[in-house]
Amino acid sequence: MKSKRKSAQNVPPREGSAAEGKRDRKKELTKDRILAAALELFREKGLEGTTTKEISQRAGIAEGTLFNYFRTKEDLALFFFQKETDDLIAWYQGNTHLAKASLPEKLFAIMHRQLEYLAPSEDFIGAVFFRSLQPHSKLNPLSLESQQLRLRYLMFIRGILAEAEEKGEIPPLGDLGSYGVGLFYLGVVAHWLNDTSEGKQKTLAVLDRVLHGAMRIARKEGWEW
Amino acid sequence: MKKKSESLSRAARIFRLGAGVAGGYLAHQVQRPFLSEDEAKARRQSLGAQQAKRVREELQSLRGPIMKVGQALSMQTQALDPAWIEELSTLQRQAPPMHPSLIRAQFKSAMGKYPEEVFRSFEPEPFAAASLGQVHFAVTQAGEEVAVKIQYPAIREAIESDFKALRAAGFAARMTGHLKESVVQEAERGILEETDYVREADNLEYFRKHLEPLSFVRVPKVYRDLSSRRVLTMSRLGGRRLQEFLESNPSQEMRDRVGAQLVRLFFFQLFRMKALHADPHPGNYLFNDDGSLGLVDFGCVKHLKPEVVRCYGQFWSREWVQSNKIYAEMVRVAFPDEYRANARQVRRSMEEIKRFYDEFHPLADPPVLLDLGDPRFMEALGQLAKVLLKNKFLSPDFLFLSRTESGMCNILHILKTRVRTTQIVRELISPEVDRSSR
Repeated sequence: MKSKRKSAQNVPPREGSAAEGKRDRKKELTKDRILAAALELFREKGLEGTTTKEISQRAGIAEGTLFNYFRTKEDLALFFFQKETDDLIAWYQGNTHLAKASLPEKLFAIMHRQLEYLAPSEDFIGAVFFRSLQPHSKLNPLSLESQQLRLRYLMFIRGILAEAEEKGEIPPLGDLGSYGVGLFYLGVVAHWLNDTSEGKQKTLAVLDRVLHGAMRIARKEGWEW
Repeated sequence: MKKKSESLSRAARIFRLGAGVAGGYLAHQVQRPFLSEDEAKARRQSLGAQQAKRVREELQSLRGPIMKVGQALSMQTQALDPAWIEELSTLQRQAPPMHPSLIRAQFKSAMGKYPEEVFRSFEPEPFAAASLGQVHFAVTQAGEEVAVKIQYPAIREAIESDFKALRAAGFAARMTGHLKESVVQEAERGILEETDYVREADNLEYFRKHLEPLSFVRVPKVYRDLSSRRVLTMSRLGGRRLQEFLESNPSQEMRDRVGAQLVRLFFFQLFRMKALHADPHPGNYLFNDDGSLGLVDFGCVKHLKPEVVRCYGQFWSREWVQSNKIYAEMVRVAFPDEYRANARQVRRSMEEIKRFYDEFHPLADPPVLLDLGDPRFMEALGQLAKVLLKNKFLSPDFLFLSRTESGMCNILHILKTRVRTTQIVRELISPEVDRSSR
């Protein structure tokens, strides 16, 4: 799942020189600043109404420099999802309650955390989500640019499923399980984007019921609402 | 999209239910010309009982809000055979359990913040299951202990979609005469009302205010700023639940006191407030060591028409035995035409009620101390309910009243309490009831 992840510049930190490390960190900070400025402006003026000039002004950099970091809004989106995955994994690893929770609760909490991360930028996500369905988009699930990001997410989910398999919560599903979860999350995001219920509570119900039902099916206990 | 396929398969099951019931009925109709009148009647009854059982089992297996639908339908007595009413009323109300992460998410969805941002502390494990949700204990920023009732997400939408399916299935079920559209509508309205916690908060405040004269009753205070349509924050009442209270081995004196208070609470609501806390489930009462009572869960509250309250008072006072005028008036209120009870059936019902009252609310002076722990009491109550149903004493108002009353009687019986019921009713039967009936 997670169609859109990974970034062109996302080179894992190498054991290079100290100066190189410092430069990378500085680059990363600038990218953070640009992303924050862009998301703010998207919220204020909408995706289409925001110009690159305004973004660079708010981020405090030259307009030309902006293009060194992000050539398109899709590059920006990829970076956004990369940050989101970083945030998710760090949060999950620090959550002692979830470590003891059942698998459906873990997956529920993970996806809810993801949706909450997306929530303030819903319009932006909505626009890039549907753009990602175009074959030439860097965000589309099969694009090579997004593979690294997606792989990270799938490995993360696979680790969680492997734990549940070990504990006997579910029968062995292998990599298929994490692909299944990933695809399901894509469906959840689509549902969430279209959810007009108060507080998007329908999405919560769907998440809970489907995870609960899928668990029962995986355990061959039959479907139950 | 996932959601759609789910509600579709659910709709299919509900539909099959309707079709199955209709199918059974059709088979019965086909055989009918070949059966004698008595045989046909016996067949119809056993068929009704089988179908009722089948529907109840199927609803139970569906779980979730549809069970509430069944429960609400069981109140729609004018349209149902006794067998159906019995089966449907055994359905327990129950939403799926929520794990701590779902509770957090739902709280955020309803209140805009996470529980830990709003409360000083919040217990992730539920204290109790509520109808359509669950109850968690928490402590406010100001240090007050509260109970937070949180509703299962989108339960309202789920109920609406179940009703849609029920209507689609209904054309089949209607053939049997079991489900009229007005019945389904009334049931839906009732359940949807219970999903609105703002309304429940209104009920709580109404009862808290009007029950003030009864110093032994405690009703939770609502925290409006910590509540919404799907979250209800209330002050936490002390006290134990019935079973725990009994395990503490209360003295007979304490049992009698608590029993008398329960009876007083019931008749105070009926005659003075003309409104009833309508869910006399033992779990909705809390018992304190000093004998005081806590009353919780005001999702289902019934406001009674004045003529219904007056008529109830007349049943109790038994004045109709002497007065044809009162008798006619009561029949008009308690036996509306649409339930088609004939004069003989009405008479049977009235006499049965009188017989029960003579035994358990004797008009003797001085009032008798009745032992409600006596098994004969519950037997007589069950017998009364049977006779009334058989004789089409089916006005929803009275059925509702008698269910609430027998719920309370059940608690009194478990308590093994002794109460001077007549004395309490005499004190509370409101003056206008007396005057208007004279």
